[in-house]
Order: sequence, then C-alpha cells, then structure tokens
Amino acid sequence: MSADQPRKPILERAWDLFASVKLSFFLLLLLAVISIAGTLIPQKEPASVYVRAYGEAGWRLFNALGLDDMYHAPWFVLILALLAANLVICSLNRLSLTLRILGKDPADEAAAMRKPKQSLTLAGSPEANLPRVKKLLASLVGKVSTAQDEERTTLFAQRGGWSRFGVYLVHTSVLVIMAGGLVGNFWGYAGHVNIVQGQTISQIVLDNGQPKDLGFALRLDKFTVSFYKNGMPSEYRSEVTFLDQGKPVKTASLIVNDPAEYRSIDFYQASYGTSVKEVLANYIDPQGKSHQVTLLNQQWSPLPGGGQAGIMAFREKVQMGSMYSGPIARILYQKGQEQPQQLTAFAAGTKIPMKSGPVRFELIEAKAAPYSGLQVKYDPGVWLIWAGCTLMVLGFFMAFYFSHRKLWLRLSPTGQGRTRVELAASTNKNRHSLARLTARLAEQLSADQKTGE
Amino acid sequence: MEAISNQIILGVTFALLATSVLYLCTWAFKSQAFGWAASILNWVCFGALTAAIILRWVASHQMGIGHAPFSNLFESLVFFAWTIALIYLIIEMATWIRTIGAFAVPLAFLAMLYALTLDPSIKPLLPALKSNWLIAHVITCFLGYAGFGVSAALGAMYLATGQAKDPASPRALLLDNLIYQTVVVGFILLTAGIVTGSIWANSAWGTYWSWDPKETWSLITWLVYASLLHSRFMRGWQGKRIAMFSLVGFACVLFTYFGVNLLLSGLHSYATGK
Repeated sequence: MSADQPRKPILERAWDLFASVKLSFFLLLLLAVISIAGTLIPQKEPASVYVRAYGEAGWRLFNALGLDDMYHAPWFVLILALLAANLVICSLNRLSLTLRILGKDPADEAAAMRKPKQSLTLAGSPEANLPRVKKLLASLVGKVSTAQDEERTTLFAQRGGWSRFGVYLVHTSVLVIMAGGLVGNFWGYAGHVNIVQGQTISQIVLDNGQPKDLGFALRLDKFTVSFYKNGMPSEYRSEVTFLDQGKPVKTASLIVNDPAEYRSIDFYQASYGTSVKEVLANYIDPQGKSHQVTLLNQQWSPLPGGGQAGIMAFREKVQMGSMYSGPIARILYQKGQEQPQQLTAFAAGTKIPMKSGPVRFELIEAKAAPYSGLQVKYDPGVWLIWAGCTLMVLGFFMAFYFSHRKLWLRLSPTGQGRTRVELAASTNKNRHSLARLTARLAEQLSADQKTGE
Repeated sequence: MEAISNQIILGVTFALLATSVLYLCTWAFKSQAFGWAASILNWVCFGALTAAIILRWVASHQMGIGHAPFSNLFESLVFFAWTIALIYLIIEMATWIRTIGAFAVPLAFLAMLYALTLDPSIKPLLPALKSNWLIAHVITCFLGYAGFGVSAALGAMYLATGQAKDPASPRALLLDNLIYQTVVVGFILLTAGIVTGSIWANSAWGTYWSWDPKETWSLITWLVYASLLHSRFMRGWQGKRIAMFSLVGFACVLFTYFGVNLLLSGLHSYATGK
C-alpha cells in the first residue's frame, strides 16, 4: 500500500485479515506446531513429574502457562476461536461472490461467450443443425440457453454449479465439529468406577476427582477374562445389571469395543483386577506363639493378646525370581498406642529370609473377588461430531471432484451452405476433466455429422 | 499357508528392489525397454503381494483366530507397501511417466525391508482390536499414507529432475498438478481414517478424541496438508514450494506411523498391554 493512499479503517482491515487465506494458512501451521510441542512435553501428568523434570520454579511456570495441559489451555482455545472466526469471515466474504456467479442469468451468459478454443465445420445450414447440436449439448452438459446475434446463434449450458458450495460445506463441518466438542465440554462429563463382583454402585468418580451421582445404580454380576491358547487375553467381559429405584431394569454384557448405555450414559470396559475382602493368616505374637486370625482389607481387626492389624495391599500372585512365588500382603500392625508398623507377609510354609520384627504374619487363604473398572461417559455433543465428520467428507468430494463447467457453442453460416461451430469452455477447477468433456462434445458433433450424411 | 505367505513376502521384497532399480534405469537411460520391464515386474509384485495378504488372512482363519491381516506393525508394513504399489500403478496407467516409479517404488521396497526385520508370526487379536472398525480404519489410513507417499515421490522427482528451473513447462505443470491430486486423495482418505478411528475410539475407550500421541500426530499431519491445500490459493506457492511441502507432509506421515510408536507412548502401543 503506498503512503499517500488513505489507510482503511481498523475494522475493515481486521475484516480483510480474517477474510484472508494467508491467516488460515498461518493458523493451521501454528496449530500443527503447538500440537507437536504437546506430544513432546508430557501432558496431564501429576505435578511431581514436572517438578522432577523441570524443578519447582519450572513447574510453576508450566502450570501458569497451561503447558501441562495445553490442548485445554485458554490460549489454545483462543487459537481455535481465531481459526473459527477466520473460517466464518472468509466463507462469508466468498459466499457473496459465489452467489453472484450462480445467480447470473443464463441468457446473459450465452451472450457473453468466452474466447473459442476450437472450431469445426458441419454440413447443412445452422438452422438445420441447431436442433441436433442443442440436444447434444443438453444431454452432455445441461439446460441450454440461446442468444441470437445477427446470423450467429450462441448456445450456452453449464453443470456442477452446486459444487461451488463444497468448500462452504467443509468449512461448516469444521465449525459443527468444534460445536460438538464445546457441547461435550460444557454439558458432558467423563469418569470411572471400579465395581467388585456382586457390588452395586450409584456413584462414579469424575476425571477431576469429584464424585458424581448417576441417579440410578449399577451392579456387577460377573466379571470374566478369557484367554487364547497362547495365553494372550482374548476378552474381558462384565455382566452388569442397571437398577432404577432399586428395581433391575436392564442387563448388559460389557466387552471392549461394545459399551452399554443407560439413560444416555455410556459404560465401557476399561480395566480389571482383584480386590481382597479378607485374609486368613497365622499371627505369630511377640512370644512366638501362633494364632489363626482373620484380617480385613483397609480395616483394623483386634489381635489375640492385644494390638490390631489390617491389610493395606494384597496381590494374589507375585513372582520373585526363583525365591518365591505366591501371594503377598502388606499388613499394618499397631501395638497399643504405638506408631503403626508396615509388615510384609508371604504364604505360610515358605522360608524367606526376613528382618525379624516383633511379630510375624503368614498367609493361609485369601477371599478375593474380581473387580471391573468401567469408563463412564455422558456426551450430548457426540452426534454433532459425527454430523460434522459426514459433512466434511461429503464436502471434500463436492469441492475436489466436481467442478462448475460452462460450455458455449456458436453456430454461424460459412457461406457454402455449411455451419461453422466454435467451442468455448470454462471451469473453476480441474481443467483436465473439462478438456475431456469438450473433446467428447467435439467428437460427437462430428460423429453425428457422419451418420447424418 | 502362513509359511507360503511369508515366502512370497520375502520374494516380493527383493523383486521390489529389482523393480526400483529398473525404474531408476528407465530414468537414467531414458529407455522404454527398462520401463516396460519395470512395469511388468511391478504388476507381478503387486499381484504376489495381494496373494500373500489374502493367504495370511486365510491362514489366520485356519488357525482359529481369524482376523484381517492389519493387526501389528509387520502386517501394516506389508499392507503399506501394497497401497503404495496400488496408488503408483494407477498414476502410471494415467500418465505413463515411468520416472515417477524411480521415486515411489523404493518406498514400497523400504517398507517391505523393514517388515522383514520383524516377527512375522500370526497372533490372535487383542481385545481392543476386536472391532469391525479395524478394517475400515486401517484401509483408509494406509491408502491415505500411500497417497501422501506417492505425492512425496512426485515432489522428490520434481526437485531431482530440475523442474524448478522451468516451472511453466508442460512436464512441470503436470507434476505440480499430480502432487496436488495425490495430496487430495491422501487428505480425503486420512480424514476418513481419522473419522473411523474416532468412531472406534468412542466405542472402545469412551472418547472420540483423547489427544493420544497417535491421534495428535494424525491431526498434525492433517493440519500440515490442510495448509498445503490452502496454499494453492496463495500466489507463488506452486511448483518448487509445493514439491518441498509434500516432502515435509510425508515426514509428518512417517512420524505418525513410526515415530509415535517408537518414541512416544500412548494408547496405540499394542506391544505393551495393561
């Protein structure tokens, strides 16, 4: 822009910026670069991970800039919003032009023929040829409009004008997908729940750690894992019953890739494990005397001769090289008001060299029950996502594989009772397919000629 | 049957090397005799590879663990080579420019060579992969990758054959248009691949998008090619720049395919099950 030209008002300049393809180009690449960073910097890890990697000060900076969850950081959302604004304004700007092109009167188009690229001569007068040529053009291209100019007749036909809307369909689909994401973000939630076999739950834990009441209950009737012959797992299956106001209303089998839905809330098979209820153990007291006791999970039980103990963690089978293979339990033991101590217990009858504590436990039998971990989701925006995806793919085909093609044929007398046909064509894209169309038109004009003779 | 399939895969790998050399000779000596030999061998490779994939599929059914042969890196590499051969052969039929083969066919050979270093045994499907979307997702993604692979080969050819010196020549314009056309094919298929992947993720993991590294890199690739397609509407972005852009885009494809599995952990790492 030269200096003496008056500067456009700021609003107009902003509009021009947002209407430009250059901005789209820049924003798309910017999003790509940021996304790359997001795959290199660990995302959504606990604070300790960042403190270890970048130090206390580094973590504070990370947290303030949202780098630990950058795909949800305000500045990332802002860039998406800028892209959306760019899409809308750029599309609106072009749309008026597109509507003007499509709204042109075919009669005016017929009168404004492009520069002819090809011409051929037919036997017979233009008047005699006109119906045939018109019919051919109509069958190959579309509705024919005519313009008369002294002795010359110009025929015009077009097809594929609708394909000009393909680009708007694609742009709209991006907005629809963004809207779907927003709807899910604001009105949806995601969480998980572990259900021990036989247990009924009515509350889940959301991803942000908050509990959430479902408004109905879910019981895990049975959890099974099946295996292939080579030992690889083949299926995880949770048989569940949905209960509404205490009454069973629906049963379902949850397997990976096949979730169940109740009242628009979806449940997915996500993980599994074993949860111990109680363990039968030998308790060797400070005097070395053995008692059989039952210890509970996460609960104190009194011990004979004073003191109390409970199970903190239990695993059914632990392989410790060639030394030991069997169950293992972490037991919390408290004597009187003393500080509780952690002890490790192995199966009874195994000789494991251990630090001798004041007391000892040996595991006899554990009552364990499998549990199933379910992913829970409510997302009212998901249908918008699928609608957007469908529109996008349709839009691509419209935008990339169809074009708005216009053809003109001008018939004029040559003076020897023959007709000169001039052919002109234009397209908004894909010149190769236009060339094929005009070649076919020219070929059929001449071919008709031969049969007509 | 599995053994026969693996024998064919071994044979095709070396045949693809021979094909690549023949295409390179076609380019170097401007000889159509080499060109015809290369094309015939290429069709033989494509046919044999198709047979190997079908045999592997049948073999898995005979083992009682029947599934489409798209379940691990080995199988995907073989399929990738097949898709590159397919897209290249379509372009060869449409243009008869065999020099493109000197750049495209080596990609198929390298994919096969990589596959040979991996364990070829047929394994049963993990629970997460047991879905009807497996076939649709893998086919769309890999045809898309192959579209981008061939566009990168065209881009490399554009640069290596010095088209940038005369970007208005018919050959340069044709190559430029072919790069664009193959990117469009790749872009539509990648989009379909991301969509089918999202639908699948939504039924397997309960979320259509979780910013998993594989998902994110497929989006990065999509964004890069989306900007390439938009650059067509900006002045000065034809020819050399598009050729270079197609190479950058394909680098993203390669990272999405290999880099993510090797360097980043995520939901797509089927080698480590929970």
